[in-house]
Amino acid sequence: MTHRSLLRTMPPYLPVLIILICMFALNGLAEPNSLSAYAIKGLVSTYLALMFLAVGQTIVIFAADIDLSVGAILGLVNVTVVSLMQALGDTPGAILLSMLLAVGVGAACGALNGVLVVILRLQAIVATFATSVLFLGLALWVMPVAGTPAPRLFWRTFGGRIMGIPFAYFVLAALLVLIFLLARSRFIQRLLTVGDDQLAAFQTGLPVTSIRVRGYIMCGVFAAFAGLCITGDTASGDPNVGGLITLNSVAAAVLGGAALSGGVGTLFGSVLGALVIGLVGSLVFFLGTPSEWQNLVQGLTVLAALMVGILFSGRARA
Amino acid sequence: MTGKFKATCVAAVLGVTAVSASAEEFTIGLSNGWVGSEWRTQMIAEAEEAAKAWADKGVTVTTQVQSANVDVPGQIAHVRNFISQGVDAIIINPNSPTAFDPVFAEAADAGILVIATDAEVSSPDAIYVGIDQKGWAEMSARWLAETLEGKGTVVAINGVAGHPANEMRVAGYQEVFGEFPDIEIVNEVNGNWDQAQGQQAMQNILATYPDIDGVWVQDGMAAGAWRAMQDAGRDDIYATGEIRKDFIDIWSENKLKSGASVNPPGVMASALNVAVNMLQGKKLKEPATAGVYGNALYLPIPFISDENLSEASQALEGQPGYTSFTSELSIGDATALFE
Repeated sequence: MTHRSLLRTMPPYLPVLIILICMFALNGLAEPNSLSAYAIKGLVSTYLALMFLAVGQTIVIFAADIDLSVGAILGLVNVTVVSLMQALGDTPGAILLSMLLAVGVGAACGALNGVLVVILRLQAIVATFATSVLFLGLALWVMPVAGTPAPRLFWRTFGGRIMGIPFAYFVLAALLVLIFLLARSRFIQRLLTVGDDQLAAFQTGLPVTSIRVRGYIMCGVFAAFAGLCITGDTASGDPNVGGLITLNSVAAAVLGGAALSGGVGTLFGSVLGALVIGLVGSLVFFLGTPSEWQNLVQGLTVLAALMVGILFSGRARA
Repeated sequence: MTGKFKATCVAAVLGVTAVSASAEEFTIGLSNGWVGSEWRTQMIAEAEEAAKAWADKGVTVTTQVQSANVDVPGQIAHVRNFISQGVDAIIINPNSPTAFDPVFAEAADAGILVIATDAEVSSPDAIYVGIDQKGWAEMSARWLAETLEGKGTVVAINGVAGHPANEMRVAGYQEVFGEFPDIEIVNEVNGNWDQAQGQQAMQNILATYPDIDGVWVQDGMAAGAWRAMQDAGRDDIYATGEIRKDFIDIWSENKLKSGASVNPPGVMASALNVAVNMLQGKKLKEPATAGVYGNALYLPIPFISDENLSEASQALEGQPGYTSFTSELSIGDATALFE
């Protein structure tokens, strides 16, 4: 098999998978305890939110769009679901209803983004940045100060175990099944087609507008799932919780092999990318980096990971 | 590189064994989730120095630092990394007041002492050692109200809306100004703790309310607000100030009409000195039960006014301009709090 055909047949998430394995190995060398059952469970439950967010981000990136409001949607969902659970009570039924409504909020936010970007044709970067400010404003209106606790049943379940297995692993499994199904769906194939060449997709009769809007709605739904995960891991509402997570979701998608120019990437790769981002932070610490250099080393490590990805795939991507 | 990794592993393993071998060696993890200001850098440096100072008492305190701009999950990861590493105590300047409840519970289950500083946390598994942000605001608001002899119009320039420290500070000045019936707050704006935004907010305020008598403004935004007032040639307005050397120099040279509550970067060092006493198994004379969450141990808040401005100036002599006026509980002060 020649070098070229090997490149063509390898799964697109292979580079990020290799980077992830290296990250685990380096972390394990630097701090053996970082591979303990506790640490792995901690890693998964801490970064579940980023994994969901990265998958949502990847869906819009497939169509060459971007959503800079995912962090704000996550924050809005976080305060909404906590306020709803506070209002409706802490019975299992009320909790499920609150979660369902919160996912609705995420979908509505995504729909607004879709309308602004796709139908009103505002530039995606600017429009979703503007809606991020709007969603943060709404979150502050729902909950002016961080602090309302989530019902014990909710976060105890998220942080607990079922049949001895941490609940976070069940959520991760559900995410992977969801990705598996989505990746084979006509919806994702069409998004990729639109992202690859929007004009051609339009000329072949694909409903480009509707596909892109639905991409944004799906992204909002995933941001809502991420919001539920963060609520589970933090047990409270905080309107500012989504502060820095948005750009991490973009970085995770690109690390996972998605091209911001659209048409390329896998959802699974983005999940791995999210884990890499999480492990980079830990590695920087476990290597004993002095505090004043930690941001710098973290940035350089992410850059290096991106470059490795490009070397592997044999071409630079936008 | 591998050699370095191995060295780190060995050091970590040795560290753990050493802790179990002797009660007078402690590893303390310091977590800081935001590196946007020199205040935070100074906070960590002072805490690291405080740890070294314990050597004189025959106690070896090793610090592990995680300091980077992180989101809440990123700082939860800090805590989990410390738990994996097996530290004895964690001192954290938290990015959220409530979001760490579950992970602090995990730390407590692992037998790790958790102390928050600079921003209070709701977790029953942690205590807070730092200043009372509300009291901090009350102090400078009272200075302003009394300097204005209890009458006049004032504006407030606040930090980040929804940030707990900001909301506590807002509650603090509103309460104090409320005690003075002739003081009217004509506007409150957000400057997001950003010096440039503070300056811009002040320019807008001067344009809209040329007749104001006083400005209540927080932290680094005060330097920006003062610059706007000086540019506009307004030396008739009283305004709160801040605690960095640059500003204190301008204050002294231009005889500004200012006063400043001090949130000293030494709070983390104070928390560390409290932590070591706790790790030695001592009990606080007065349990930490203050604050909205009932788990706070409040530190004294210094105040800089014209009366002690020269002392503050002297304390900062020869330091870089970004250095903040600081104070901390010394080992002796901290030990005196314990039985």
